[in-house]
Amino acid sequence: MKLLSNYLKEMKIAARGFYFYIEIAMAVILVGILLLVVSETSTSNIKQFIYNDMPQKIAEYLKDKSIEDGDARLANPTEFELKPAEFVITNQETGETTAYDFDDEKIIELETIEMLDSSTGERDETVYYVETEEDMIRLAYSEREVGATVAMDAHGKVSTKYYLQGYETDRLESLLYISHSKSPAVINAKKDRQVVRTLGVMETLNNRENLVPIFLVYLGSLMGYFIVMAYIFYDKAEGVIRAFAVTPSSMWKYLVSKIFVILTTVVVSSSIITIPVMGGQPNYLLFYIFLIITTFALASLGLLVASFFDSISKAFGVMYAIMISLMIPAFSYYIPSFDPLWLRFFPSYPLLQGFKEILLNGDTGYVLTYSFVFLAGGLVLFVLADMRFKKTLTV
Amino acid sequence: MISVKNLSHSYNEDGNFAVKNISFEVVNGETFGFLGPSGAGKSTTQGILTGLLKLQDGEVLVAGYDIKKVQNERFNKIGVSFEQSNVYGKLTARENLEYYAKLFDVPTRDPMELIHLVGLDGKENVRASEFSKGMKHRLTFARSMLNNPELWFLDEPTTGLDPAIAATIKDIIREKAAQGTTSFLTTHNMFIADELCDRVAFIIDGEIKLIDAPKSLKLQYGQKLIDIEYIDDGKIVKETLKTVDELERKRIGEIVNNYEIQTMHSKEATLEEIFIQVTGRELVYNETIK
Repeated sequence: MKLLSNYLKEMKIAARGFYFYIEIAMAVILVGILLLVVSETSTSNIKQFIYNDMPQKIAEYLKDKSIEDGDARLANPTEFELKPAEFVITNQETGETTAYDFDDEKIIELETIEMLDSSTGERDETVYYVETEEDMIRLAYSEREVGATVAMDAHGKVSTKYYLQGYETDRLESLLYISHSKSPAVINAKKDRQVVRTLGVMETLNNRENLVPIFLVYLGSLMGYFIVMAYIFYDKAEGVIRAFAVTPSSMWKYLVSKIFVILTTVVVSSSIITIPVMGGQPNYLLFYIFLIITTFALASLGLLVASFFDSISKAFGVMYAIMISLMIPAFSYYIPSFDPLWLRFFPSYPLLQGFKEILLNGDTGYVLTYSFVFLAGGLVLFVLADMRFKKTLTV
Repeated sequence: MISVKNLSHSYNEDGNFAVKNISFEVVNGETFGFLGPSGAGKSTTQGILTGLLKLQDGEVLVAGYDIKKVQNERFNKIGVSFEQSNVYGKLTARENLEYYAKLFDVPTRDPMELIHLVGLDGKENVRASEFSKGMKHRLTFARSMLNNPELWFLDEPTTGLDPAIAATIKDIIREKAAQGTTSFLTTHNMFIADELCDRVAFIIDGEIKLIDAPKSLKLQYGQKLIDIEYIDDGKIVKETLKTVDELERKRIGEIVNNYEIQTMHSKEATLEEIFIQVTGRELVYNETIK
């Protein structure tokens, strides 16, 4: 009863403040952007520099066939300027490095073909055919685009060696395989000949869906961490925590009521974003379990941090440092090649991956394992916060 | 109702004590004044008694509960009116009282009755953030009465209030005292203490210098004085004379017999004067002097 009374009071206060509406409004804006602005498929025009390491007649035949089949169309030749450059390429499989040093400067004209999306007929990548492998590598480096050597062995089997920048997504790598192999089935057969990473994930989120985990983590759980602190500091400024402390109600009920308000806000805002974008695809039971547990854990972290300071201005440094550190795993989410072991210890790393797995209907074990970890961690943080608040009531 | 034995408290636990080995008792139904200037240890003592500060050293019983043990139910018997008003600005006066009323396990008073009692009629549906400082203070005071406390902690209950409202608050305190409520009143206002308290304790630098009833203190430390204004050679002359001194008594007679008296008042020593006499310190003094 006291807990319910606390919760209703907190909801009333939240409804009369800005944070609640900002959170909901942000969710509405973000879902609007996702549905109206972000397309499901990548609209970025992928550029590739291709060196055909095969007899010219075969190369010409393959090119013409693509155009005849409607998979590609011939475009005007494109000029590129090659400047002096010095760089090193690492083979991802062997770790072997090769140094390149070019002193000359030249302009080359390349035959250009636009590859077309089979469903829409729109251009989705541009291919430039380069005459030498050296120029192809040099262009891939200077233009910061994908380069590839397409070779054919004595048995007529085609293989592709990619030259990537290192920050390409799994999704792009999958597209590259498929675009050159024409069939995903060929991927396994050719895998041993590729230098880029092995493609473990064949099922991926589309462009729009891929943004949902980021919004869930940063608008949901991370904002929960921030907003619970804001609520606590507001109460500290008004002195109402001291007034609560001289009632027969327990401090944990006061703290839990704060977390319940955060959970209400986060569940509403996350549902606004997720349901219209993902529809019936994810396992929503798992989704809400993971969302509630992780929000609880991060809100408890917010409570603990807030217990050490008497005003938001004094807490700002620590609060900001934690928020920034929680944002770092987003780099790994978008740049899979940047995935050091230490990054996995940031709580937002399994959060992002967990939501991704839920939206993909992927690894339930991973989600449940981290749900347990977050629940245990959240409870420890909450108990510590409760102890701290009891000890610092005069603040 | 309150028993304090050898209570000491150090904020940094470094040997610098805000409260040093103090002992006192407050009996049921008594209004006990805890008097001292800022920084004397009043708030620290009240913080410990109300559980807002952890007991470090000593034995303290409040409303029958040993405060070393965490027993939240003791707050069903206790009311606390803070010096700094602390109510939810986003809630109305009525919502504030209704919310806190639900936190108690005992029957509580009607919020509207309390709002009326402290003179906030018509403001019950106004958010506390729109209240003046005095109105917030009255709401904080009203909240402390919600559970009909047996023991009432009052921290500067009339500070910042206009005289009419302060008089109302004092009347409420007197009425509660008449009903048998025990009050622990912390203040630096000697007039309030003099008017309301059965006994007072003077605290300075964390130590209790004296505990007694205001009347006894006046008898013990005070000197009866008479202020006389009379006309001498066309001019008004003012003299203050002690009634206990033989020569000054004769002088009073001389003035009454020979001059036209304008005003004549008997005067007792105030509690503040006694405080200065006992402690050598003023209750309210300039920060730079402190």
